[in-house]
Amino acid sequence: MAKRPPITNRVRELREAHDQMSQSALAKAIGVTRQTVIAIERGKYSPSLESAFRIARVFGVGLEDVFGWEGD
Amino acid sequence: MSFREQSAWAMMAILTVGGLWYFNKVRAASVALGETAPPIMPFVIAYIVLIVIASIVAMSVLGMASPEAANAPADERERQADSRAGDLSGYVLGAGVIIGLLHYPLHMDGNMLYHIGFASLMLSQIAEYGLRIWYYRTGS
Repeated sequence: MAKRPPITNRVRELREAHDQMSQSALAKAIGVTRQTVIAIERGKYSPSLESAFRIARVFGVGLEDVFGWEGD
Repeated sequence: MSFREQSAWAMMAILTVGGLWYFNKVRAASVALGETAPPIMPFVIAYIVLIVIASIVAMSVLGMASPEAANAPADERERQADSRAGDLSGYVLGAGVIIGLLHYPLHMDGNMLYHIGFASLMLSQIAEYGLRIWYYRTGS
């Protein structure tokens, strides 16, 4: 089994806080597939820095409001 | 399931069925001859033609089912998965080549060397699609 990256995120929480934005809508907004958004939300995949910034910009928050380091 | 995962499943199935069909023919010919059959070019050509036709049909059907996803380029996670799968499948090909090269001096069987090389190529392609599916599912 692939090792989980030690990065936490609040993507699902932020998405739901934004009028229940769908995974597909977020995927389209940041230029990835819905499966990639699902993988990010489940902590199975750490997005590239560019996609991380895109996600933060979609929600109008800073990068550290979306992503964190496990244990911090 | 994403379009790319569906494509990978389809290609893995096509290559597996095609490979089994081809080597079943080779095995039958070898049994009939009482030794390793030489490369049977009509079967090799039939295998290649069938694989190409089946791939085109499968990709067309999948593409028509979800045209937007079919036209979209691979995203960053999919590219990473494809790259890792390609790297690892190269080891399968390499292992097959080494087995073939070790087998030849021991048995001096050029026909078997050909079949081992062909099988290694098939197996590495099947492994590549299988690994893609694995990485798509585990997050890459």
